Amino acid sequence: MTSPFETLALSRRTLLVGAGASLLLPAAARRAGAAPATGGTLVAVLDPEPAGLVAGLTISAPAVAVSANIFDGLVEYDEGFKLKPSLATSWETSADGTVITFRLRNDVTWHDGTPFTSADVAYSLLEVTKKVHPRGNAVFANLTAVDTPDPHTAVLRFSRPSPVVWAAFNGTETQILPKHLYEGTNPLTNPLNGKPIGTGAFVFKEWVKGERIVLERNPNYWDKGRPYLDRVVFRIIRDPASRAAALETGEAQYIPLNPVPLSDVARIKASKDLVVETRGFEGPAPMYFFDFNLRREPFGDIRVRQAFAHALNRKALAETVFYGLAKPAEGPVPSYQTQFFATDLPQYDYNIAKAEALLDAAGLKKGSDGVRLRIDHIPSAYGEDYRRAGEYFKQALKRIGVDVTLRNYDLPTYIKVVFTEYDFDTHSAWYSAYPDPQIGVQRRYWSQAIKKGTPSSNASGIADPEIDAVIERIQTEGNVEKRNADIRELQRLAQVKLPSVNLLELTFYRAYSAKLSGIDLAPFGGYQSLKTVWVGA
Amino acid sequence: MSLDATDILPRAPAASAPAAPKPRRAVRASSFGYRFLRSRTALAGSIGLALVAGAALFAGQIFPGDPLDMVARPFIWPFTSAEYPLGTDMLGRDILVGLVYAARVSLAVGLAAAGLAVALGVVFGALSGYFGGWVDQVLTRITEVFQTMPPLVFVVVVVAILTPSVSSIVLGIAVTSWPQVARLVRAEALRLRDAEFVQAARVMGMGHFRIILTHILPNAISPVVVAGSILVASAILTEAALSFLGLGDPNLISWGSMIGSGREVLRTAWYMTALPGLAISLTVMALNLLGNGLNDVLNPRVSLT
Repeated sequence: MTSPFETLALSRRTLLVGAGASLLLPAAARRAGAAPATGGTLVAVLDPEPAGLVAGLTISAPAVAVSANIFDGLVEYDEGFKLKPSLATSWETSADGTVITFRLRNDVTWHDGTPFTSADVAYSLLEVTKKVHPRGNAVFANLTAVDTPDPHTAVLRFSRPSPVVWAAFNGTETQILPKHLYEGTNPLTNPLNGKPIGTGAFVFKEWVKGERIVLERNPNYWDKGRPYLDRVVFRIIRDPASRAAALETGEAQYIPLNPVPLSDVARIKASKDLVVETRGFEGPAPMYFFDFNLRREPFGDIRVRQAFAHALNRKALAETVFYGLAKPAEGPVPSYQTQFFATDLPQYDYNIAKAEALLDAAGLKKGSDGVRLRIDHIPSAYGEDYRRAGEYFKQALKRIGVDVTLRNYDLPTYIKVVFTEYDFDTHSAWYSAYPDPQIGVQRRYWSQAIKKGTPSSNASGIADPEIDAVIERIQTEGNVEKRNADIRELQRLAQVKLPSVNLLELTFYRAYSAKLSGIDLAPFGGYQSLKTVWVGA
Repeated sequence: MSLDATDILPRAPAASAPAAPKPRRAVRASSFGYRFLRSRTALAGSIGLALVAGAALFAGQIFPGDPLDMVARPFIWPFTSAEYPLGTDMLGRDILVGLVYAARVSLAVGLAAAGLAVALGVVFGALSGYFGGWVDQVLTRITEVFQTMPPLVFVVVVVAILTPSVSSIVLGIAVTSWPQVARLVRAEALRLRDAEFVQAARVMGMGHFRIILTHILPNAISPVVVAGSILVASAILTEAALSFLGLGDPNLISWGSMIGSGREVLRTAWYMTALPGLAISLTVMALNLLGNGLNDVLNPRVSLT
């Protein structure tokens, strides 16, 4: 375990901003020293219902939150974002950075009893992650082959050094799927995606559509003694107020994603029986932004885009619409990823006069009705908060004479209209930035990420040679320092060229019963397996 | 225009019974206003409705400016600030101003949807009732198709397909509520088509459509008026339900959309849901009172003492 990535991982330790603030641990975490109790059923709540239960294929957050219990990755991350063993016990990187060798556990079986081997790793990486995972192709672009010299060794060969892969080997991003059940099928349509067979701590039991997903303890799990819970039930509750009620009545004990209305967070926090935890989302790193459709006029004019950026009061947005559970973003990379974050980026302060002057200069004069431009806006369909933010944008832009028509859609229509038909003037959403900008940030700015039909791809249509050049350097640069410099340059270009306005670093949070112990606080904790959790007295 | 057969025909009575004795007829002809004023329900309903309509019409004069503007600190409770008597919502919008402007959208949707539904229902009902036979068979089957679908689900589907906007909501509501008017009118037309004055008109060579327009419909109008006023009320409720489900027009403020956005904060700030809810109940009650009152006023057998 002495390879270049080790220093990389070390430099990422700072990622956990909560480290300083975590001295005030919640009661449950303080009890973590006590011996875990075994048994019991945990009722968790999920929304919206996922389309499939294999995170390697369906990357929506609720799918990942269930799937991480059923499947494992090669490694996990600890709270300092350092690697720790999972299906792989050790790993090493060759001196030139192009070969990574994983030693695998030899005591792991799939839930159907078949032994887990290096062939599963080779199949998953080459046939599933690289071919059908929505982000996998970009992350593993340089992976050329996976050798399997014996059943417990996997040798990954890359055409170029690819430091980014170390941010993607965890089980919430790159899962290892059973080759013997997937080979020869189309992984996307394999019926097992709805009743998965994995190696994880919990075994899939049943999925009653629209109601619940039930998982049971895997008695043969390789991590001896774990999991502690006998059974995990994920209930699907669509209405946020009902989710809050379920938690408060004790009907449910754990809500990993979007637990309660933002307006209720303060109330839940004040309760002695409940915990609101904001750690565990530094890995997904949700970033909220306002996109322009550059295919349409007048957004080709940088002055118009700058005017919009000056007209949106990010601080007010964070305080009112998001109830303070967000902070203004200074660029596309969250400020808590200090190893990547560029501190001196160009900013657009809230300044109505400046915005109006810019629009005047762009030739958009006010008409007799005070309107200089009529556009539409599609807010993200992932929740009421984003629609309310849309109402905020409408009012804010009205002040500079821009008349905004809001268009709200249900989720599937939203994805079709924004990412397939590109039928919008402006659009707002959050994407995960992920622990490495190459995974989460470049897809907003790279011309190759204009992929018709792919959700969370480059929707603005920005195709800028200068930005593309930096992104492609980031993908192939093996030297960590040089690469970080390029990542800082990407952030600067993103702010200067402004294909979209970076608005907020959102704060996601989990809400759960104070009786739970062992909650995973690592950067992906919010999506992580419940194998460490037990129900205390 | 030369002499026409109908000009010498005793005009089939819009507000008179054909064979009534003369003195009574004279009283009744002038009695709509009289009876209306004597009906407490009709009067109470129309006063309530007039208040709402007044608020809607003069919203711009009472509160100049945009009701969606974020004017103050969010979450001001009602009756705690003189400047914002009914408080502000979670984005700091004035609730009183919102309620007044929302009356516009809610009433406009109610009236337009009811109007469209009545128009459709009258056409279908009159044709099928008057002509009978295969026309009746076909039109009644069509009516039944629309009637067998659960109305709210049907509206949701229509609005979701057409994308939420005021016109798609009006269309959705009208499309689901016209069958009840159609059935009413059909029953009246069936009753009237063999009445003596209609037979007389037919004998004199009057065309079918003219008979329908001048004889059938004027005599079938009172139940339609009553049904129409109830339809306005139910259209307002349906619009509220749609907005509550997030299918309202996001660019306009209606009582339903106020309830829909207030729902999330129900536990902490119930007034955001209760105030527009109250506005809806009062308006719908006024419309129902008016409908019931009109029913009494237009029905000569009900005595209004």
